[in-house]
Amino acid sequence: MSFTSGTFLVFVLAALAAYYLTPKRYQWIILLIASYGFYLTGGVGAMGYLLFTTLTTWLAGRVLGALSDRRKALPKEDKVRQERIKRRKKWVVLAILLANFGLLYAVKYLDFTADLLHLPRPGFELLLPLGLSFYMFQSVGYVIDCYRGKYPPEKNLAKFALFVSFFPQMVQGPISRFGDLAPQLTAGKGFDADQVKYGIQLAMWGYFKKLVISDRAGVIVATVFGNYTQYRGAMIFAAVLFYCIQLYCDFSGGIDITRGVAQMFGIHLAENFRRPLFATSLADYWRRWHITLGQWMRDYVFYPMSLSKPLARLGKWTRRHIKGKLGKIIPTSIATFTVYFFIGIWHGAELRYFLFGFWNGGIITASLLLEGWFQRWREGLRIKTDSLPWKLFQMARTWALVFLGRYLTRAGSVSSALWMMKMTVLDPEVAALWDGRMLALGLNGWDMAVVFLGVAVVLAVELYQERGGHIRIALERRHWAVQWLAILIPLAVIVVLGAMGGDYIAPGFIYQQY
Amino acid sequence: MEQLLRILNETCPGIDFENETALIDDGILESLDIVTIVGEIIDEFGVELNVDDLLPENFNSVQAMMALIDSRRG
Repeated sequence: MSFTSGTFLVFVLAALAAYYLTPKRYQWIILLIASYGFYLTGGVGAMGYLLFTTLTTWLAGRVLGALSDRRKALPKEDKVRQERIKRRKKWVVLAILLANFGLLYAVKYLDFTADLLHLPRPGFELLLPLGLSFYMFQSVGYVIDCYRGKYPPEKNLAKFALFVSFFPQMVQGPISRFGDLAPQLTAGKGFDADQVKYGIQLAMWGYFKKLVISDRAGVIVATVFGNYTQYRGAMIFAAVLFYCIQLYCDFSGGIDITRGVAQMFGIHLAENFRRPLFATSLADYWRRWHITLGQWMRDYVFYPMSLSKPLARLGKWTRRHIKGKLGKIIPTSIATFTVYFFIGIWHGAELRYFLFGFWNGGIITASLLLEGWFQRWREGLRIKTDSLPWKLFQMARTWALVFLGRYLTRAGSVSSALWMMKMTVLDPEVAALWDGRMLALGLNGWDMAVVFLGVAVVLAVELYQERGGHIRIALERRHWAVQWLAILIPLAVIVVLGAMGGDYIAPGFIYQQY
Repeated sequence: MEQLLRILNETCPGIDFENETALIDDGILESLDIVTIVGEIIDEFGVELNVDDLLPENFNSVQAMMALIDSRRG
């Protein structure tokens, strides 16, 4: 069931009505039924994966909880038995990591591995179920946190199943933490008109970005990338720009819908975007884009890897042979590179995603290693690092780096991405931008104007937010009529501009395939 | 320091944290211990750690960890 379908709106309305009409202590059951109902509409086959992850991670949590209780009951001096229990806990975590990531690997990367090793592909075709990597990361994070003893494991399997399957986040995340989400899902909620209103406003903002801007921009992207050899540099450049617009409005719009729908149920999901356009470095960009994935990688990959024994040994060697800060931070840089490399290949099993990982990891690692030199250059050139021109320069530099990376994620292959980059530089043919050819890519002048106006609105709102403004709080202080107009006008805009023709079916979200 | 020692002893009961000075360099702490300890330091002491802080010398001993926490608490 697509977020952009009428069926979904009816589904949410029905779920809301049932949720708020049910006694508080049973409301979570409504959410569970709605979540499994939502997931079932995606096909029965996908359910097996969801049940596998739910059952294995729930069981692991229970076992870890029982082992922790046994360990606590032991006298402190009995270090041998304490150590034995700790080792068992580690085996449990290892088994869960292998089982779940093994499954993810089989579904996403087996064919790629076979091709890479020139081996025949496996004879079976594994279905990539909706949201697999999102709910798997969320559940595996829960198991590691149970190992840590961060919170007591959930005893009730049905309540845990809701944590894994909460329907708004099944399409493209965010990746929530158990301690943040589970208590909200099971706590009873009285009807709060403000929460529902805020939720509607946020979801509408998401629909605006998705249906009015992203799906229009996507038309140009599909035309050019689908037949890229027919176009010269400037049009390819424009198509990549439209792709950046499409991707941001699609992913962040989808997350706004997710968070908005959750808020209608009184549930607050983690933020996944913090205006990446204003990032001043590539590392800063990744702290603002898909935040929950970055935080997951930081907590469960970066921390242990930075302080691992092999990297510590390497660090000893580099400090002996390379003087200054550079020798000190090489191990951390390797861990940083690995995290961004993982984020790259998380997108899919294709060479272009590996290169995307290398691109981001390489630049961020290089900037870490070269920071000392950059610092001296800045001082030598007497650059005021808190000045607006310098900030704008940093932002423009970040846009350029992100922009180049986007050639890789959208082109069908590495060779086509490289060809398109080459054309952008060597054969721009800039006249194509204004001699009418841009209007022959599937969008007429009106649609093009809608995209640009839409982007201008998004930019204005994000600039306001970046400067500390809160749209919904600001609206709250206005007359009630203004508040309703703030819902009705965008609704009218979405209805009038969101659909392109009577038979138009909005495409799915880009990130739901990951 | 006591709070930190309690966290460390609960995480890895078999280690002499008061005297050990090469927890990372000698591979005494394993990856899941590190996830736990770093997570506990962030949660319990309310500090934020930067990429530059994740260096072995900041985690090789309880004194080094405490110095890092103090520096982050400002």
